[in-house]
Amino acid sequence: MRSGNKHTTESLCPVCLARIPAGRCTEGDDTFLVKNCPDHGDFRTPVWRGLPSISGWSRPKKAVRSGTYQAPETRGCPFDCGICSCHRQQSCTVLIEVTSRCNLSCPFCFAGAGTAAGPDPSLETIAGWYRAALEKSGTQNIIQISGGEATLRDDLVAIIALGRDMGFPYIQLNSNGIRLAADPAYAMELQRAGLFSVFLQFDGTEDHIYRTIRGRSLLDEKLRAIEYCAAAGLGVVLVPTVVSGVNTYNIGDILKLALKLAPAVRGVHFQPASYFGRHPGPPEECARFTLPELMRIIEEQTCGLMKAEHFCPPGCEHPLCSFHGNFLRLPGGELQSLTRHAPDCGESGATENEGTGRSVSCVARQWSAPVAAAVCCDTNSLDAFIENHRTNTFAVSAMAFQDVWNLDLERVQECCIHVVAPDGAMIPFCLYNLTSTEGKPLYRRPLC
Amino acid sequence: MSLPEDVMEWGCAACGGTLEMVKVGFTYMKGNFEVDLPACSSCGMVLVSEELATGKMADAERILEDK
Repeated sequence: MRSGNKHTTESLCPVCLARIPAGRCTEGDDTFLVKNCPDHGDFRTPVWRGLPSISGWSRPKKAVRSGTYQAPETRGCPFDCGICSCHRQQSCTVLIEVTSRCNLSCPFCFAGAGTAAGPDPSLETIAGWYRAALEKSGTQNIIQISGGEATLRDDLVAIIALGRDMGFPYIQLNSNGIRLAADPAYAMELQRAGLFSVFLQFDGTEDHIYRTIRGRSLLDEKLRAIEYCAAAGLGVVLVPTVVSGVNTYNIGDILKLALKLAPAVRGVHFQPASYFGRHPGPPEECARFTLPELMRIIEEQTCGLMKAEHFCPPGCEHPLCSFHGNFLRLPGGELQSLTRHAPDCGESGATENEGTGRSVSCVARQWSAPVAAAVCCDTNSLDAFIENHRTNTFAVSAMAFQDVWNLDLERVQECCIHVVAPDGAMIPFCLYNLTSTEGKPLYRRPLC
Repeated sequence: MSLPEDVMEWGCAACGGTLEMVKVGFTYMKGNFEVDLPACSSCGMVLVSEELATGKMADAERILEDK
């Protein structure tokens, strides 16, 4: 609900996790999530800084729900998640965490992995999670095998094959790439089991970035992992965690390297750092890196090769959660933008997006391995057009995950990235990973 | 270019003209491609088969459309 420069919503108190009223307050071009807990005081967190303006950042969309709901509500959103009847979007991506073990000790970890890792879930347990996803969202979503570091499981091939056997067409691996880089045959095995894509953690083009964010040098391994995935016919998406003051200066170089490694690298998916899991200390306002800042810095650091106006709000999740843009790589190294956001023209004539369905098929097509190896072509035939676009379209996207400070329940209720909890409940990613100031999780429990 | 066998007997419903193969340019969302298609030699009306419309042309449309 909007009143003047304030849009009312709800959030949680960062200290006691009580549900409290909140507002998105816009001052000039900046918007803050402002909330007050009667017991713990006022909180104010930037959620949008500068242009493109938050006021025009939306597009028509239909809420889509199918499948079954969790048990009836008792305490209301976000306490009855699973998903409850308040939710207005079904899954487009379902995360299955197959281990809490990890071979890195990152200060920035969504999953809080590594320390005090419990035993891995059995294949039978994982089959139960696949069944839960099937029952609640059907098969037409992207299953992301995650952790911890999923490649630490020696039966990962069996886990992927199980998902494919149960009818999921798109199985993606979320990985730091260390094991993929160690053995070229490994990527081949995963591909043969039915994997289509790797979401590769990739924070920069310089090793000191990895030493800061991940605790050690990793660039060589990342590049080798990309090479082996490409040879195996796996699409690779580079996924930088963007940390203010650490790798924000390197965003343009990440994109330039990714373009050089295309079409094996299908795109870059930026994730500005959130403050849950194992993060050191409460965030300063200057540590918040918002989506419009990222769009502008992409334009600046690519010298206008990609412009902020090329990026669009999502047709699936809540508009404040992401942006994306597609670009066609041309033979001379230039890019042709295939997307554009034009808020002043309004998008009232645009067809309402039916949310997840179209989103899943677009993303799956884009993140799959390319059909041809090189930029073509000198012919204008329809076949060449299709092959050229399938091979040479490069996707740039970003997702702003929420933490306890900027949590906005209106956004959560449109979330389509869901984690299967150990009991089979489907929990929006941000809620699943959310922790209080004391580190108390709202949902996450040990795996077994 | 010769007409495909299955349309050799066809005539133009609009003006009665005979068909011939021509190179037809398509533009959709900044994408351009050309397809050899039967068209009326008199008024230029183009025949797009169902197979093409629901097959490769639909593929091209999906590729260009935003998620």
